[in-house]
Amino acid sequence: MFYSSELIKGTLKTIVLKLLANNKKMYGYEITQKVKELTSDKIQITEGALYPTLHALESEGLVTTEIEFIGKRVRKYYKLSTSGKSKTKEKVSELADFMETMKFLLDIKTKSA
Amino acid sequence: MYQLNEQQIDFIINDISARGVEMETLQQDLADHVCCIIENNLEENGDFESFYQKTIKTFYKNDLTEIEEETLLVLTYKNYYAMKKTMINSGIASAVLFTAGSFFKFMHWPGASVLILLGMFIGTLIFLPIFFMFKKNETVNSKEKLVLGIGVINGMFFSLYVLFKVFHWPGANLLWFFTLGIFALIFIPLYFFSGIKNPTTKLNTITTTIILIMLAGVFFLQTRLMSSKQFYLAKTYNYIQYEDLLLKLQATKSANQNNEIEKLANEINQNCNEIKTMIISDAIGTTSIPKDFEEKQITFEEVGLSSQFNIEENGYSKILKLKDQINTYNSIISSHKQAIQMQNEIARMIDKKLLQQSNFNLLYALNQIQLITLQNKQLFTSEKEI
Repeated sequence: MFYSSELIKGTLKTIVLKLLANNKKMYGYEITQKVKELTSDKIQITEGALYPTLHALESEGLVTTEIEFIGKRVRKYYKLSTSGKSKTKEKVSELADFMETMKFLLDIKTKSA
Repeated sequence: MYQLNEQQIDFIINDISARGVEMETLQQDLADHVCCIIENNLEENGDFESFYQKTIKTFYKNDLTEIEEETLLVLTYKNYYAMKKTMINSGIASAVLFTAGSFFKFMHWPGASVLILLGMFIGTLIFLPIFFMFKKNETVNSKEKLVLGIGVINGMFFSLYVLFKVFHWPGANLLWFFTLGIFALIFIPLYFFSGIKNPTTKLNTITTTIILIMLAGVFFLQTRLMSSKQFYLAKTYNYIQYEDLLLKLQATKSANQNNEIEKLANEINQNCNEIKTMIISDAIGTTSIPKDFEEKQITFEEVGLSSQFNIEENGYSKILKLKDQINTYNSIISSHKQAIQMQNEIARMIDKKLLQQSNFNLLYALNQIQLITLQNKQLFTSEKEI
């Protein structure tokens, strides 16, 4: 089983930010593979979701890019900026809080049902 | 593990751009990503071409440009909420400022022009562009986008026209015709034909089009009412003749009296001339009306007096002074049997707020005052001769 893209959409920024906090710099493919590996294939980030998110994070100034040439290929590494680091903490704690609330909310519903 | 060669990498980069991805940074991201997948998953002697086609297909639902569109959308909408807030606030501010400004203008209170100007600037330069950006993303087909664009440009021209009109700048009427022309001949037909084809919006389109045509009709009527050129020409001509007569009379020699009446009459004359110059330059920009105003196509419109005549401004104090001068003149002249008492037309105009209504009325009243002083002067001259 893997999660629906709707569920992932709201958390993707946080996932990417946290990964970049744990790894100094990463490129797109590496991010998708890492997530796949850490979640034992449960979360599979699509290219169509990942790159728009990365570009949005870049334009918000939370991540910066670094280019590396591999022959004719251009590899773009993404890494956290200073403001990205503090934003990551904020986002992670927000999501943790949200998960607690959801747990509570859904528990009530299942109990009353 | 597969090893990609340079031709294959070129092929991938070209293919991604041929599929419509235009952002270079995104091209680089996607190319590297595909390369990684191929190198990690294709066997050493596998079929590059078919594996590439299979892989790239997993990137999208319909076509590859989806990713770019999504990226652009995310980048544009980064400030979505801030922009929406700005749009609503600027819209409200513009409407309030403009309405307040119009009311001030109507009441001849100071500050009207600043309010109108500010309202127009906020409306045209902040509200309309943001409105366009939002609406543009909502509409799908290019025809609707065109209708929207022309509508927004139409709105901008309308603001520009109001601006020119309020400040009596030349060219206002031309702008008006231009705005009305775009509205009636381009906007309405385009709106109608782009909406009528869609069955869901058909009824809405028809009713809105009818209302728009009615609106255009009202606007057109307004044009007729406001630019009665012949009417203004006649009024201007009338004034010029009056002025001519006055100058001729002033030129006729009469005995110098060197008394108080003469002195006061001269002061009244001078004050009248100064006020006339102000009115004329407000209307046409020069201190006097040229004789060939008709050929030069100078239109002297009948409008309210400019802000120079607002309370405490220069023009207003001149008028108050004139009112007092006339009263003094009348009190002195009352000892002379034959002399004509002047109706204090100016006092009447101030009381009945006639000053707010017409620049021509004031011009005529001033001429009348000057004529009476001249007439009295001649009466005194003949008195002396007897």
